[in-house]
Amino acid sequence: MKEKAVVALELCRDFDIDDVVVEVVKNLNLTVEEGEFVSIYGPSGAGKSTLLNLIGALDKPTSGKIVVFGHDLATYDEDFLATFRSAYIGFVFQSYNLISTLTALENIAFVIELAGWKREKIKSRSETLLKLVGLNHRSNHFPAQLSGGERQRVALARALANNPPLLLADEPTGNLDTKTGLEIISILEKIKDEGKTVIVATHDEKLLKLATRSLLLKDGRLTE
Amino acid sequence: MSEIGFPVKDLSRRKTQTALTIIGLTLVTAATIFLVVFGANLGFEISYFAKEGRLTSGFTSILFLVILTISILNIITGPILASFLVRLTMSERMRDIGVMKASGCLSGSIFAYFFTELSLLIFFSTLTGVMLGVVTFYVATTLLNTAGFSISQNLNIEIIIVVSVILIVFSHIFGASPIRQAAKAKPTEAMSPIYKLKTTAGLGKKLPSTLGLPFKIAVRNLFRRKSVTTQTIICLTVVLTLTTVTIAGGTVANQTTVSYVERAVSRNTVLVAHPALADHYVNLLSRFFEEKELEQLDYLAQALRISESLVSKLANIEGVTGVDPRLILESPVQEVPGIVPDPVDQTGAVLIGDSRSDEALILGIDPEKVVNDWLIFGRKVGETTQEGTMIGDSLAANMFTDSLNQKIKIFENSLPYDIVGVCVDPLNTGKVVYMPLETLYNALGESGYNILLLQIDSSEKQEVISQIESEASAENLMVVELDPILDKHVTYLGNIWSLVMFLPIFSLATAAIALLSYLMLSISSQQHELGIMRALGAKPKTIIRIVFSQALIIILVSGAIGIFAGFFITFEFLIYDPVMPQYALINVSALLLTILGLLCLSSLYPALKAAKKTIAQAISEI
Repeated sequence: MKEKAVVALELCRDFDIDDVVVEVVKNLNLTVEEGEFVSIYGPSGAGKSTLLNLIGALDKPTSGKIVVFGHDLATYDEDFLATFRSAYIGFVFQSYNLISTLTALENIAFVIELAGWKREKIKSRSETLLKLVGLNHRSNHFPAQLSGGERQRVALARALANNPPLLLADEPTGNLDTKTGLEIISILEKIKDEGKTVIVATHDEKLLKLATRSLLLKDGRLTE
Repeated sequence: MSEIGFPVKDLSRRKTQTALTIIGLTLVTAATIFLVVFGANLGFEISYFAKEGRLTSGFTSILFLVILTISILNIITGPILASFLVRLTMSERMRDIGVMKASGCLSGSIFAYFFTELSLLIFFSTLTGVMLGVVTFYVATTLLNTAGFSISQNLNIEIIIVVSVILIVFSHIFGASPIRQAAKAKPTEAMSPIYKLKTTAGLGKKLPSTLGLPFKIAVRNLFRRKSVTTQTIICLTVVLTLTTVTIAGGTVANQTTVSYVERAVSRNTVLVAHPALADHYVNLLSRFFEEKELEQLDYLAQALRISESLVSKLANIEGVTGVDPRLILESPVQEVPGIVPDPVDQTGAVLIGDSRSDEALILGIDPEKVVNDWLIFGRKVGETTQEGTMIGDSLAANMFTDSLNQKIKIFENSLPYDIVGVCVDPLNTGKVVYMPLETLYNALGESGYNILLLQIDSSEKQEVISQIESEASAENLMVVELDPILDKHVTYLGNIWSLVMFLPIFSLATAAIALLSYLMLSISSQQHELGIMRALGAKPKTIIRIVFSQALIIILVSGAIGIFAGFFITFEFLIYDPVMPQYALINVSALLLTILGLLCLSSLYPALKAAKKTIAQAISEI
């Protein structure tokens, strides 16, 4: 029987914007099993990014429970959550979120260095990943010197750097043209085949087709 | 959108950045205004001492030079800091400028928009800064006056206007430069995050792994933000140079002036003289730190003379290491014009001097037996010939054009005497003339001594003084220890320098403001990336270490350059023949290290702030 990768129970996340409380996630329940490829779709502002932030321990719920690989995230302090993110989560952002003052190779190496790998292993692992996404010739280039597709590929390589069991991708093809989007989808397909758990927030039809399960997020709630 | 509407909205939407820039500029302006107004009043306070004839010219010139140097450095520091903050905040606008250009906005309009924004920031901050500076000045002087000082509270409006104009003009000139640069840049360049930072891949690439990840990231961040890093280092270096000059200059000047006095009065020395003359001499020596009316005295009266036999008896006391008999009297002195080479036409000569006259204390000394060791410009009297005279610094400064190339007349209708040296001497506030006893005897037509200075062994001081008193009392003479008077001189000089040393507190505050402003603005621009690092698994303490390491590197580099420059200015230009005992050097070094430490500590605030922000919040910030 497969382990549960993510369990969300009665999950709520409110934001106080100029004294107006906006309920972005409302009593949401979700279970994702290990090795599943789940896509979440829905209109803009439905709360897809907020949900991924909660699963990825980037944000804390207003109420409810979120358990990822057996860890109840609300009960841990920031130091533990940092270690948890480093070990369990790979995050791909829509706007790439690469560190502008680090080169493509250094962006990948940063994550591995944080995990405390040895210097030689950091270099070889970073180069392998850059090669995997077809960017070994751009290793010394800064994010600003790369195209959108190349940045997203670096971001994907970075997300895989520590070999995390859970990959979260927030609109990974949202800013890319069709051809480049397909390149990203093909990498995600390989990741799926490797048996990793993947949760993707997307509008992209092709990505939705790749998913083993697609969920609609509307008004803060999920429906199959 | 109107040229005023856009800048106002842009500023109000960037609340944190705008507030930080305004606070930074306000504090920098306030600190500069305070320093200049306070420094000017401190200068007046010191020139008041000089006018009253209490400090000698030698001491006044040191004070003047130190205060002048500190004031000039302050006036330079203010605009540099202000411009730095403006540049920093404007470089943050580069991306927006690029977007505006890409949307078809004309370069001229872009310049007008952002220049108006710049002007709003500068004028508002200068106004609030001036008000804060004036209030701080009144509070500080009131507190100091309550503590016993007497600093004038004159507000020199002209100085305030001049400083404000300098700050406004320089801030506009330096602040406009990045706007001009952005307006000229291609839209793609301006929008690139690495364009404004002048990032290049080669810098900070190969770093030893032993340094640790936070330090390596900090080094890379600094190298790859080299434009901002360089500006910060320049800015902090100037501030730390100013701080070092103030602290080291003040300490060295204090030590040096104390050493001048100690050399002139000499430690472990006692005065033997008739009670009336002893009292008179002490008053002449104390004029330096307290004003006293002097009674008329017939110096040459036989009753005041000291016999040769007593001199011999005192010289034979064990523990008396030096016997310096002198004949002193007061007399009018007159400047004798001299002939010097023409500075314009080297082959010709010009007449200098104005036959000025004054009253001075004349001292006949035996050059072989003198117990003190003045700081002398030129040479010591009687060193090679018995004919020359050595005059005090105040007499040289106030009565002569070029004393070492002129002569002096003592007594009416006397022959002119060569001036071979100028000594720094607090006796009679520097209005003294030293000449060999033989020369004085010839001029007076009579001989003898009326005071005796005895150098004694400090290890058996009280015992020796008792023996001297016993011998002297037999001839109705009085013995006065000069060390307590010397100590009063030292305390008095210490008080003056403590006023000057009050300035570094504000230099330090200025340095902290510069660093904090840089860090806050720099961190607010890095907030997004620090958030990404945390999202990728960096712990809050890693973020604190990264930010702290950045500050540490900047502080250490600026500190090394600034402190070296400060010491160089102090020792090479500020003070002639500087004196810096080891303990004073240790004190100054400890103080400067404390300042660097406090600056490092101040960087913890933005570091903690960066680490406390939620990741989702940090990532969403652009």
